[in-house]
Amino acid sequence: MDSRLSNSSSSNHHSNSKKRKKNATANNANQKTLGVAWGSKSLSASCSSRKSPFSDFSSYMAHKNCKLQNQFDSEASASAARNTIFSGVSIFVDGFTVPSSQELRGYMLKYGGRFENYFSRHCVTHIICSNLPDSKVKNIRAFSAGLPVVKPTWILDSIAANRLLSWVPYQLEQVASNQPKLSAFFTLKSSKMSEDTSTNALCQVEPDVEDSFPRVGQLKERHPSEAGEMVEVCRQISNESNDISSKKTDVFMMEEPISERVICDEEKLAEANSSETNNERNTEGELDPTYQEPSTSVSIPCSDNQNVHQFPSSEATGSSKQCHSTLTDPNFVENYFKNSRLHFIGTWRQRYRKRFPTLSTGLNNGISNSNKSDINSVILHVDMDCFFVSVVIRDKPALLDKPVAVCHSNNSKGTSEISSANYPARSYGIRAGMFVRDAKALCPHLVTFPYNFEAYEEVADQFYSILHRHCNKVQAVSCDEAFLDFTDAMVEDPELLASSIRKEIYETTRCTASAGIGGNMLMARIATRTAKPNGQCYITPERVDDHLNQLPVDALPGIGYVLQEKLKKQSVHTCGQLRMISKNSLQKEYGMKTGEMLWNYSRGIDYRSVGIIQECKSIGADVNWGVRFRDMKDCEHFLINLCKEVSLRLQCCGVQGRTFTLKIKKRRKDADEPAKFMGCGDCENLTHSVTIPLATENVEILQRIVKQLLGCFYIDVKEIRGIGLHVSRLENADTSKQGTEKYTLKSWLTSGSASVKKQKYHMGHNKHNSDCANCASSHGCIHSQGSSFQIDNKILNIHVSGDPISTPPPLCQLDVEVIRNLPSEVFSELNEIYGGKLIDFIAKGKGKCESSSSLGNSLEDDAAICKEEDLPYSDPIPLNQIFSENKAMQHERVLGSGHGSCSQVTHNSNIERDDLLPSSLSQIDASVLQQIPEDLKAVILEHLPAHRAQAFCSTPAICPGRINQDSVGVDTSKNCPGTVNHALNDSLRAGNLPSWMDKFKDSSCLRKLREIYHRSGFNSQLSSVLPQFLSEFHHLDLTQEIYDETVNIMCELLKQYVKVKIERDIEEIYICFRLLKRFAVKSQFFSRVYNDIFPFLQAAVDDNYGGSLFMP
Amino acid sequence: MQRKENETPQGQAASVLVEFLEVAITAVVFLKGVYPSGAFERRRYMNVVVQRARHPQLRYYIHATVSGLLPFLQKLTVNQSYGSSVEGVDLQISLRSFLAKLSVSESLTKKLPPDCRWEITGNFQLLPETGTSKEANFWIPTDTKQWEQPLFITPIRSMSSDPLCLQFYIEHPSLSESSVLREGNSEL
Repeated sequence: MDSRLSNSSSSNHHSNSKKRKKNATANNANQKTLGVAWGSKSLSASCSSRKSPFSDFSSYMAHKNCKLQNQFDSEASASAARNTIFSGVSIFVDGFTVPSSQELRGYMLKYGGRFENYFSRHCVTHIICSNLPDSKVKNIRAFSAGLPVVKPTWILDSIAANRLLSWVPYQLEQVASNQPKLSAFFTLKSSKMSEDTSTNALCQVEPDVEDSFPRVGQLKERHPSEAGEMVEVCRQISNESNDISSKKTDVFMMEEPISERVICDEEKLAEANSSETNNERNTEGELDPTYQEPSTSVSIPCSDNQNVHQFPSSEATGSSKQCHSTLTDPNFVENYFKNSRLHFIGTWRQRYRKRFPTLSTGLNNGISNSNKSDINSVILHVDMDCFFVSVVIRDKPALLDKPVAVCHSNNSKGTSEISSANYPARSYGIRAGMFVRDAKALCPHLVTFPYNFEAYEEVADQFYSILHRHCNKVQAVSCDEAFLDFTDAMVEDPELLASSIRKEIYETTRCTASAGIGGNMLMARIATRTAKPNGQCYITPERVDDHLNQLPVDALPGIGYVLQEKLKKQSVHTCGQLRMISKNSLQKEYGMKTGEMLWNYSRGIDYRSVGIIQECKSIGADVNWGVRFRDMKDCEHFLINLCKEVSLRLQCCGVQGRTFTLKIKKRRKDADEPAKFMGCGDCENLTHSVTIPLATENVEILQRIVKQLLGCFYIDVKEIRGIGLHVSRLENADTSKQGTEKYTLKSWLTSGSASVKKQKYHMGHNKHNSDCANCASSHGCIHSQGSSFQIDNKILNIHVSGDPISTPPPLCQLDVEVIRNLPSEVFSELNEIYGGKLIDFIAKGKGKCESSSSLGNSLEDDAAICKEEDLPYSDPIPLNQIFSENKAMQHERVLGSGHGSCSQVTHNSNIERDDLLPSSLSQIDASVLQQIPEDLKAVILEHLPAHRAQAFCSTPAICPGRINQDSVGVDTSKNCPGTVNHALNDSLRAGNLPSWMDKFKDSSCLRKLREIYHRSGFNSQLSSVLPQFLSEFHHLDLTQEIYDETVNIMCELLKQYVKVKIERDIEEIYICFRLLKRFAVKSQFFSRVYNDIFPFLQAAVDDNYGGSLFMP
Repeated sequence: MQRKENETPQGQAASVLVEFLEVAITAVVFLKGVYPSGAFERRRYMNVVVQRARHPQLRYYIHATVSGLLPFLQKLTVNQSYGSSVEGVDLQISLRSFLAKLSVSESLTKKLPPDCRWEITGNFQLLPETGTSKEANFWIPTDTKQWEQPLFITPIRSMSSDPLCLQFYIEHPSLSESSVLREGNSEL
C-alpha cells in the first residue's frame, strides 16, 4: 500500500510530471505494436484468472506464473540489499518503456517490489507503460482492470527519493487528461475518494466506474452493497489500527464531515487494493510506517480514530456532497447556492435587512440630519478577523495557532479554492483564491474545513446585534464588516469604546474582531488594516498624513489590480507619491471619477457618510461552476431551477423586474479542460436580454422568458460552462401587485364611477398587463383588446386635437382641478389643442366631469369592443368609423348647445348614466357580446343587472337610449330640411355602422338596408352588406315622395363612407363602388345614386391619390 | 430574416415592411413578365410562395433600393407612444394577404410589351430629413411628372394596422397601355 505515503509528497512532484509528459508523447509512434502485444497478453491473463474452457491451457499458465514467481522470489532473496521502497508494489510493464522492462524488473528486485510477467488483476498493483493506443485509452477499464497506469519515471524517481512517491503525478497523461465524465464521477459516491483522499485512486477508479456503469441508475443500484462491504472492511481495518493510532491526539477534527469522508474513502481504497488479495496483514503493515511519518496530513490519524463511531454518518455526508454537476444532481442549482460562499455573502444583506429592519430605516433618518463635513466625526470600522475560518474553529481552541483554511474540498490535489485562511496559514503564503493543492504544497499540514453557513449566519447576527446595541448608525458592508458612526454619540474615548465592542464581540462569538477608528470611512478602514489581526487602531486627524505617506496605494479601497498596475507604471507606489500628482492630471489619466477618488483618498478625504445603503439595481444568480449539459433537456431543467432561484430572490427582496438578461459562458473553441475542477475555464461571455412591459417575479413567466432567451443564443448546450440570469429594472412588488389586482377585469367592472378616471387609466394597463402576461399563451382576445384600445385612443387623440403630431390625452383623462388651476397661457394653449373644448369641459364642473369621463371611457371601451368584434374578420377598416364615432360623440357632447334640444337630450342621458358598465354595454350590440370569448362574457354578464343582460342576450334589439336618440335625430332631419345633412352627418359618424343603420328605420327603403345589415351579423364593412342590399333593393317599390329623400340619404351615407375610408382603405371603396356600378345598370335608383356620388368619389380620390379611380 | 431584439416596434414594422416591399416588388416584376420566368426561383416568404430573382444584380438592385427606404420609413414614424410589439405577427399576416392577392390580380398579370423598362420610384407626401445615412443616399430626389395624361387607379389591397397603413394599387395612364404599380404607405 504505497498510497499512504504519498500524501505529503504528491504536490511537490506535480510540476515534474508536467515536463515528463512531453517526453512521453514523443514515443507515440510505438503505440500500435505495443497495443497488439498487450492484447494478446491480456487475453491470456483473463483466461488464467477465470474458469476458462481451456482448462489445460490455464493450468499451464498457472504453472508458468508460479514458476516465474518463484524465480523472481529467489532472485529477490539473492539480492541481499533489503530495501523496501516498493514493498507491496507489484508492477506489470506494458510494451516499450524507458528504462526497459528488464531494467524495471531489476529495480523491483532490488527495492522490494514485485514484477509480473503476465498481467493479473490479483497480483499486479501498478501498470507501467509509456504510452497507450487510443483504443485502450478509450476502454481503459478493460485494459487496466482499474489499476493505476503509471509511467516508468515513477519508479526511477521513487528510487532517487529513496521512498515511494505518489504515483498520481506520474500517471499516464493519456489517461489523466482524459478527464472522466462527471456523470460517472459524481453518482458513485465511493468514487469520490479519488478526489478527496490522499490515497489517490483517481485514475484507477474513475475509469472503472465510467465504463462499467455508464448509467446513473445502475450506479445507484450498485451502491448499497458496496457501501456495506466498505463498512465492514473499514471496521476491520480501523479496529486493527486503533491501538496503533490511539496516541494520536487530533480529537478536534472528529466532527468534521470532510475527515469522515476521508476515512470512508481511504478504507475503500484499502479494500480495493487489498481485499481481493486477501492481504489484510499487508494493509496493516503498511499503515504502520504511515503513522510514524511526521509530515502526514492531519486528517489521516484523525480519521482512523473516528471511523468506527462516525462511519454511518460519513456515508451520508459522502453522498450528499458528491452531487456536483448539473449532469447528475436534479437539485443542482439549489445545492450549488447552498454551498456557495459568494451566495452567502450576496444574500446576507437581505437577511440582515430583514433582521434589523427598523434599525436600517432609522439610520437613514439620521443621515439627513448629520453634517457631512463634521470635523469631529468619529467613524469606527469593525471587521472580523478571517471570519470564515475563525467561525469554524471557534470551538476548537487547539487549532487556533495552526494553519487553517476554509474551502470546499479537502483534496490535496484538488482545485477547490481557498476561501479564507487564518493568520498562521497566511504566514505560509496561503492566500484566498488559491487552489487547495497549491496551498497544501506551501503548507502540507494545512487543515481545511468546509463552510458552515449556519454558523456564519449565527455569528453575523450576533455581531450585528452587538453593533446595533452600541450605535444607532451602523452601515453593514458585509456579513463580517461594518461601519459605525459615533459622531453624534459624543464619545469621549473612541479607543475605549472600540475595545469594549471588540471584547463583547469576542465574548459572544468567540471570534476576534479588529477595529479601526478614523475621521471618515476611508481612514477608519485604513486604520483597521493596520489593526489587524485582533487589534485596533485610531488614526487621529493629525496623524492622517503621516499614516498615508507610506501607505501603499493598493491599500486604498477602490484601487484594484489594474489601477495599481497603471499607477506603478507612473512609479507611484505609496499614497505619498500619489499626492504629488495634481488632481487635473489624475482625472485626465484615469477619468473624472477615478481621478478625483485617487486625489481625495491619497489625502484621506472621504465624503461618504455612514449608513447609505445602495438599493440593488439588479438581482440574479450566476452558476459558473459544475455546469455541464448533455442535451437540451438537461439545460432546460437547469434553467427551470435557476429561474426558481432567481424568482425566490426577487420575492425575498420584494421586487419585480422588467428586464431579463441571460448570460452564458461558452467554452472557447480551443480551450482545454479548465484547471479548476469543474470550473468554467476559458470562456466567451454571451448575453441576451429582453424587456417586458410589466414587471414580474413569476417563476413561470421567468421560465418562459429564459427559454426564449436561450433560443437566441443558437448554442450547443454541451459548450455551456456557466449560466447567469439577472433581472433588472426592478420595481417594488407591493405597488405593482396592488396595481395588478386593480387591473383585473372584475375589479374594473365592479368599481363605481367615482374612480372613473383611475379606471380609465387602469383599463389601458389592464390590457397591457394581460398582454404581457399572456404573451406566450396568446390569448387572442385579450391581445386584440389591448391593441385596439391603444389605437382608438391614439386616433381619438390625433383627431380631437386636429394635430397629428402631438398626442394629448383625451379630454376624459384630464383632471378638471388641474386644468382649472393652470396658468392662463398654458390653458389657452391647451384649449387650442383640444379645439376649444376645454372651456366647456371645465364649465361642466366636477360632478359632470366624472360622468363625462365615464362617457369618454365608455366610448373608448365601446370602440375597443367593437374593434374586437371586427378582429375575427381580420379587417382593420372599422377603426376609422370608430374613431369618427368617438370624435363625433364627443363633439356632440361637448358642444352640446350647437344642436339645441335634441343633442341636449342625449347629453343629459349620458350624464345620468353613472354606472359605468351598463352604460357602456348599452351602447353596444349583442353581437359584440357574442364575439367575446365565453369566459369574458360570463364575467361581464355576471356584473350586469339581470334585466339588461337578458336584453343583450336575446335579440339584437336597440336599447331605449339609442332609440330615443335616433328618433330625435330623425325628427330634426324631417322638421328642418336645411339641417338634414348636418344631422345625418353627425349621426352617421356618431355611430358605428349599426347605429347609423338605425337611422334608416323610418325611411322605408333604407329600412331594408338596415334589416339586411342586422341579418348579416353586424359586419361593419359596407362592402359586405351592400351586395345583399342591392339585390333585394329593386323588389321594393318606392313612392315618389320619399324617393328623392332616399337618394339623398343614400348619397350622404356613401359620401360619409368615402370620407372615412378614402385615406386608408381605397380597396373597400373600390369594392363598394364596383358593386354599386353593377347594380346601377339594373336599377334606376342606384344609377342615380351612383351618378350623384361618382364625381364626389373621383374628386376625393384625386385629392388623396392624384388620379381617378379606375372603374372597369 | 433575423431581426434585432431590441428594435422599437416602429423599427420592427419598418424592417418588416421593407422586407415585404422587396418581395412584393420582385413579385410585380415577375408578374409583369419583364424578365423571362426562368430568371426567378420559387421561395417561401411568410408561408406564401413568392419569387426571387436569380440574377444577383437584379436581386441586389431591388434589395438595395428598398432597404434604402428604411431610414425614410423610420423617420415617417411620428407616433412614438406605440409600445406594444404584438403587431409583428399581425402585420405579417396582413402582409401575407397582399402577396396572395398580388398573384391573382388581373391587371397585374397582364403582360407588358417587350423592350420595356422599369424603375422603382418613391413618392413622399413630405420628404423627411434623413441625415447623412449611407443607405438613404441611394435615393435621389426627382421632379419628373410621370404621367402627362390623367391616370387611373386600380386598388389591389388595403390594410391599416397599428403602426402603419399600407395600400397597394396600380396607377395606369390608360386602359390599354403599360401600367405602373404603386404602393402607397403612410405610417401613423
